[in-house]
Amino acid sequence: MTTRVWHASAVTVLTLITSAACRTGPRSQPGDPMLDAIRAEEREGKLTYVESQGKRLFVRYCATCHGDEARGDGQNASNLSPAPPDMTTSKTSQDPALIRRVIAEGSAAVGRSPLSPPWGRSLSQQQIDYLVAYCQSMGRKKP
Amino acid sequence: MGVAVEVKNIAPSRLHVLFACLGITFLLIFSWVLFHEGTAEWRTTQARFRQLERGVKNPHQLAQSAGVGGLRQIWLPDLGRIDRCETCHLGIDDPAFAGAPAPFAAHPGTWLSTHPTDRFGCTPCHDGQGQATDYATVAHQPQPFVTRPMRPLETIEANCGTCHRALDPPEAPRLAEGRRLIVESGCFSCHEIPGFEGMTFRGPSLDSVGYKVRPAWLASWLRDPKSYLPQSKMGNFHLSADEIGSLEGFLLSQRTQVPLDSTGVDWKKADTANGRALFGELRCVSCHAVNGRGGTLGPELTRIGDKVRRDWLFSYLKDPHRVQADTPMLQYRLNDAQWRDITAFLLEQYSSADAGAEPPPVTYQDARQLAAGRAVFERRGCPSCHRLAAIKETGRIGPSLAGIADRDPDELPYGKNVVRHTTDNYIFLKVLLPDTLGQPSTMPTFGFTPADAARITLALASIRKSDLPASYVLRRPAPAPYRPGGTFGELVGRYRCLSCHTVGGFGGDLSTVPLDRIGSQLQRDYVAKYLINPGAVRVSVEARMPVFHMLPDEAKTIADYLSVVFLDDSFEQYDTRFTAEEARRGQDLYGKLGCQACHQLGTKGGYVGPELSTTGTRLKPGWIAAWLSTPQTYKPGTLQPDYGLSGADARALTAYLTSLGRNDAAKARGGTTP
Repeated sequence: MTTRVWHASAVTVLTLITSAACRTGPRSQPGDPMLDAIRAEEREGKLTYVESQGKRLFVRYCATCHGDEARGDGQNASNLSPAPPDMTTSKTSQDPALIRRVIAEGSAAVGRSPLSPPWGRSLSQQQIDYLVAYCQSMGRKKP
Repeated sequence: MGVAVEVKNIAPSRLHVLFACLGITFLLIFSWVLFHEGTAEWRTTQARFRQLERGVKNPHQLAQSAGVGGLRQIWLPDLGRIDRCETCHLGIDDPAFAGAPAPFAAHPGTWLSTHPTDRFGCTPCHDGQGQATDYATVAHQPQPFVTRPMRPLETIEANCGTCHRALDPPEAPRLAEGRRLIVESGCFSCHEIPGFEGMTFRGPSLDSVGYKVRPAWLASWLRDPKSYLPQSKMGNFHLSADEIGSLEGFLLSQRTQVPLDSTGVDWKKADTANGRALFGELRCVSCHAVNGRGGTLGPELTRIGDKVRRDWLFSYLKDPHRVQADTPMLQYRLNDAQWRDITAFLLEQYSSADAGAEPPPVTYQDARQLAAGRAVFERRGCPSCHRLAAIKETGRIGPSLAGIADRDPDELPYGKNVVRHTTDNYIFLKVLLPDTLGQPSTMPTFGFTPADAARITLALASIRKSDLPASYVLRRPAPAPYRPGGTFGELVGRYRCLSCHTVGGFGGDLSTVPLDRIGSQLQRDYVAKYLINPGAVRVSVEARMPVFHMLPDEAKTIADYLSVVFLDDSFEQYDTRFTAEEARRGQDLYGKLGCQACHQLGTKGGYVGPELSTTGTRLKPGWIAAWLSTPQTYKPGTLQPDYGLSGADARALTAYLTSLGRNDAAKARGGTTP
C-alpha cells in the first residue's frame, strides 16, 4: 500500500513538473531597452531600417545641394540654376525606376540639367537601393 | 527478473487484452505521428509556394524546379550550423520572387550576391533557430532557453561585425559608429576587447597636476566631470565626499614637473586683443571647441579659465610636448609675449564670472590622507587612462570582453530592470547605467546617450567566441607606424602633421588629405607657400590647417621632402604637352558635365568642392587626370563622383584645369582665365 502511495505521488510530482515546463501561458512583457534605443532614429523620421540607411547616404552625398530634409534648400542650392527641386513634393522621387536612373546616371541622362552628377560608379548597387527607398519615403506624411 | 515474475502471475486472457490495448495505443500514436508530419506547417507552406510559382514562372522553369521539395537545409560544418530556413523561404535567392509575399520573397538588396547562402547560410547573419521549421514556435520568435533568437533588422549590424573586423565596416554605419565610440571613449584602457588590440587611450598625464589646476575645479570635476564639460570622456565614478577629499589632496601633491619659468613675463602688459587674433590665426578651434563649436581632438576650452592656473597654461602652450610626449597638440613657433597674450586672452574670455582669483598652491602633508587618496586612485583604475610617475602600471582593471556576445543571457545580472534577458540588453544597461545591475560596479557612468549606448552595444555584441574559421574573417591590419628621421622627422614631430594627416593609413583623420602621394598631387612651390600661409581651397569649409608661424627654411625643407619622397610614379609620367584644342574641349566638358555645380571658378559655381581658379599653379596634371578618372580609388567615399571618363576626356579636362591661374597657358588657349 505504502509503495503505491509513493508511486502515485511520484507520478503526480513528475506530471506537475512536466506541465510546468511545458507551460505556454501568457507572460508579462519585459522591456527591450536596447532595441528601443536603436530604433529611435527610425522612429524620429517614421522610417524603416532600409529607409534610414538611405537617409544617412542622402545626408552624406546629396544634402549639400538638396538639403537635409530634401526640400531643395541645401547650402549649395543657391549656386545652382536650375535649383534643386523640393523632393518631398516632386513626382520624380515617387517613381522608383526614374529616381534610380537619376541617381545612377545623373540628371542629364533623363534630359535635365547636368548639375546632379551620376553616382552609379561611386555608390554600390545596395547603396543606391537604400537611396531609392529613402526617396520614396519622402512623399509620406511626416509629423 | 521482477517483470518476468509478474507476467507469470497474470492470467493468459488478461495478457491478450493488455497486448491488444498496447497494440491499439501504438497504432494510434503511429498514425498521429504520420498525420502530424503529413500536415506539418512547412508542407502546407511549400504547397502554397507551388501555387505561387505557377503564376510567376513559365513551364520550362517550372519543370526545372519541380524536383525541389521536402525539408531543405544548408549544412555549414565550418560554422557548426544547419539552417533549414529555405524549407519555407523557397524563393529567397530567386530574383523571380522579388516582392513576393512572405515567406517566399527573394532576399532584398544585393546581400546574397556578396554572401551566397551555400557559404553563409542564414543564421550567421540573422540568428534564430536554424533547425526549426515551425514559424510560431521556435524559428523566429524569442523562446525560453533560446539564447540567440532572430535579430530584428535594426540590430543586425552586430552580426556583420562578427566577420567584418575592420573599424569601419562598409554598409554597417551603426556598427562603425559604435566602434568609433569605443575608440574615442578608450574602453580598451580598462577592458581587453578583441579587435582593439594595441590601441591606447590618452588621458592627460598627471605628473604636474598640482601646478596645473585650481583646487575648487578639481573637487567639482571629481564629483561630476560633466558639470564642467558635458562632453567629458571621463565617467562619473560616484565617489564619496571622503574619497574626493583624499583624492584631491593626493593629486594636488603631484608636482614632479615644474612649469617653465615665467617670472620674466610682464602680465600687466598682456594684450588680450592680440591674444584673440592669435587664437583665430593659430586655428585653435580646429581641435578645441569653444561654446560647443569646433574640433574634438583636444578638450573644449569654454571654461578653461575655471580650471587651469596661469603659469602652467603659459608653460604648456609654449612647449606642450614637454608635459605630454604623446599629445596630438603641435608646438607653434611664437615668442613669450605672444604666448602671454594668448594665455591672458583664454583665461579672461573663457571663464565663469564666479571663478575668482587664482588661489595660492596648497601643500598637503597629511600622510594618511595622501595614502588614502593613492588607494582610491589605484582602486578605481585611474592609472588605466592617466599616467602618473608615482604609480606603477596596474594593468586592466575591468574584465576581458572576449566572447561577451556568447555569454548566457540568463546568467547575467539585470538588477531591478524589467527587461527581456538578452546579452544585448545586458550590455546596453551596463554601458548606459552600470550601477543599476544589482552588483557593486567599479565602472563609472559615462553618460552616453541611449542611442550611443545602443551603438556601442552593437559593436560589443559582435564580439563572439573566437572559433570562426579564418577564411570568414575580414580584418584590416593595423597601419604601420610612420616615424621619419632627420630634420623632416623633427618638423613632423614638432608640427604634429600626423595628428591630422595620414601616411600609409597611420595618423589622424581630421584632415581629408592623406600625405602618401602628396608630392605628385601638389606643386612644390605651392606647398611651401601653403605651409607659411595656409588658406582653405574649399569655399564652404572653414580652414583648419593651423598657421604654424613656421620659418621659411622649415617650409622649404618640408616641401622639398614631400615633393621628392611622397610620390606616385604613375602620375609623374603623364604627358603634359597639352594642345590648345584639348584645353578648349576640356572647357566645354566642364560645362557639359556640370562641374560648376560643386566647384567655384571665379565668382560662379558651387561651394562643395575646391575652388579651381588657381588649379594650374596648385595641382600637377598627372594627378588631375588620375583623380578625375577614378576618384574613389584615391579617396573612398569622396563626394567627387566617378563620371566614367574616357582617357581622352580626362586629358581634355586636365588640359583645361591646368591652364587655370597660369597666364601663359591661358594665352596659348586663346581664352582668359575667369
